[in-house]
Amino acid sequence: MQLQTEQLQSAAGFKFDNVKRNQLLADKGLKLSTAKKTGTTIVGLVFKDGVVLGADTRATSGPIVADKNCEKIHYLAPNMYCCGAGTAADTEFTTNMVSSQIALHSLDTGREARVVTAMTMLKQHLFRHQGYIGASLILGGYDVTGPHLFSIHPHGSTDKLPYLTDGSGSLAAMSMFESRWRPSMSREEAIELVKDAIEAGIFNDMGSGSNVDVCVITQGNVEYLRGYSRPNQRVEKEQSYTFARGTTEYYVPRAAPQPAEVASAMDTSA
Amino acid sequence: MNFAEMHQPEFAQAPATERHSHGRWEPYVDNGGTSLAIAGSDYVVVASDARQSNGYIINSRYSPKAFQLTNNVILATSGYAADAKRLVEVLEQNSQMYFHKHEKPMSTTATAQMLSNTLYGRRFFPYYVFPILAGLDTEGRGAVFAYDPVGNMERVVYRAFGSAAALVQPFLDSAVGFKNQRNADATRLLDREQALKIAIDAFTGAAERDIHTGDWLDIYIVDGNGVQHQKRELKHD
Amino acid sequence: MATLKPGEISMGTTIMAVEFNGGVVVGADSRTTSGPYIVNRVTDKLTKVHDNIYCCRSGSAADTQAIADIVKYYLDLYCSQHGEAPTVKIAATLFQEICYQNRSQLLAGIIIGGWDKQEGGSVYNIPLGGSLHREPFSIGGSGSGYIYGYCDKVFRPDMSKEECIEFVKNSVSLAMTRDGSSGGVVRLAVITKDGVERSFISGDQLPEQYLG
Repeated sequence: MQLQTEQLQSAAGFKFDNVKRNQLLADKGLKLSTAKKTGTTIVGLVFKDGVVLGADTRATSGPIVADKNCEKIHYLAPNMYCCGAGTAADTEFTTNMVSSQIALHSLDTGREARVVTAMTMLKQHLFRHQGYIGASLILGGYDVTGPHLFSIHPHGSTDKLPYLTDGSGSLAAMSMFESRWRPSMSREEAIELVKDAIEAGIFNDMGSGSNVDVCVITQGNVEYLRGYSRPNQRVEKEQSYTFARGTTEYYVPRAAPQPAEVASAMDTSA
Repeated sequence: MNFAEMHQPEFAQAPATERHSHGRWEPYVDNGGTSLAIAGSDYVVVASDARQSNGYIINSRYSPKAFQLTNNVILATSGYAADAKRLVEVLEQNSQMYFHKHEKPMSTTATAQMLSNTLYGRRFFPYYVFPILAGLDTEGRGAVFAYDPVGNMERVVYRAFGSAAALVQPFLDSAVGFKNQRNADATRLLDREQALKIAIDAFTGAAERDIHTGDWLDIYIVDGNGVQHQKRELKHD
Repeated sequence: MATLKPGEISMGTTIMAVEFNGGVVVGADSRTTSGPYIVNRVTDKLTKVHDNIYCCRSGSAADTQAIADIVKYYLDLYCSQHGEAPTVKIAATLFQEICYQNRSQLLAGIIIGGWDKQEGGSVYNIPLGGSLHREPFSIGGSGSGYIYGYCDKVFRPDMSKEECIEFVKNSVSLAMTRDGSSGGVVRLAVITKDGVERSFISGDQLPEQYLG
């Protein structure tokens, strides 16, 4: 008993107990369920005095829209935010984990963490798990060395670029950047371009939809613009679909007979 | 190898993994989209969205799936758009031939049977289409016929097919069929304005939750005066 | 040997490094792809692992970045412990150790070029299995297959710095136009006793060549 409890408690991090069994079942032809991979459009852009991150707000499971207004721009640190595409759970847990590590690191060093530090933590974590953590990230932030923008792929490779897109709508979004991006844009121009890039994804990629979230990170300041653009409001319904009272079929539970009554009401005819 | 194995189509013999592996040609594509029809005492309402898609890509925002076959018959489709187009061509040709041969237009029920025969004629390489045929029967009542891709036919009061069928059909079961409702007459037919509103709400709702349904809505209303068509906007995301 | 996993970012690349009297020139294209999509068209595949030692990365982007990061760490450690800069040979041996010991899990073809006091300029090649070869010049990546003939014909062991730069520029440019997995700009680094000079040739400034 003691041993069992210890085994359960000592298991930190991921558990791989079922890997062998699942592989065996898969080989025998069992269809294993997969984690939710959401189609997404996420972007990032470096401008004159900071970075702008953008994301759509549609979460899908297969062809069905699971959430019409989800948040894909994750908090990492006071000066850093991270857009996530790919497996929803992986982006959520990976950014949360690195966020807490960064918080401890800042406490340790007494300094604001650098964007490269977060980037290195993320890439080393993803590389260690060899692509099995399906997190595709765009990391943006502002630190002592200025504005930074990185993309981190599930296998652990990183790119440093002035403008980035990812997710199923990345090609639509990139077409906006490749035609309209120029060096050192103003804050207003940058936000407008990010909005248009996300909207390109929303309208041309069916995995992306609903609203545009924007996050502007500058020196010592963050502006998280939730629902910056809402081009897909639901139209008014033609009529109401409320039901009249008493529409729902239900059973009237029979009151349990009291023991005394049972005795007196006992049917003795048969 | 026994006889049955020998006469299976080539793609059915390959193991599942190989069958779907990269580079192998597949004859069918699912182009998404949704169609529905509702029959009334003296009319039918037919509605189809006009988005045509493949995977996450939109091929066309306005590529109609509902077609006027004859003066008073509408065919609403979903499934593989190229097969649907070909099927409509075949049906149009045959109903024209019928018209010239018999000097009268084909009745709705005859067209319905012809569609079934046409589909079953391709039993072993089917049209990958889920058709809903709608018109007025000889008594002037609304008639809706629903089919599977190989020609099984069923006359119904209302039906939804396509990518949002799993969302729309239960809604119609409630709003049109009055299913699971106490004090409701499940055999009651809606009037035309109600049916139209329900068809519109079915599609604005489907466009919210089904990624393959959206862009534009084609509505056909068939009654004693003929066919009336209208086009409405749906969400484009 | 490892293969590219589904969805993995690859650098189907053209990379090269050439010795000349006084140093080495390393060069690379700038294309990084994920399937048919160009993820990064201005990638820097010439990665500094110490003051005067660079590596040219080809294969999996994730694998080669991880390896370069580890080598960079060990070379910094070496520098602190020994109080002198590591030689190119030491760097190359470190790379080989990692590439060979993990050869079943890695997809990495790396060329190391650098300058040190012992050998002057030197070039080492570590192809896929993790073997180590010192060569007067080395080419690698998917694009290299197109330019073996050109390189063997044009290379001379006693080139000047300027001749060597031209040689690398021309070779990478030729490979880039024939290999679909290579392209973008040509990135260069000239490493001598005086340090490192970085430069690049943008896609519209490539040397003249037949493009029909």
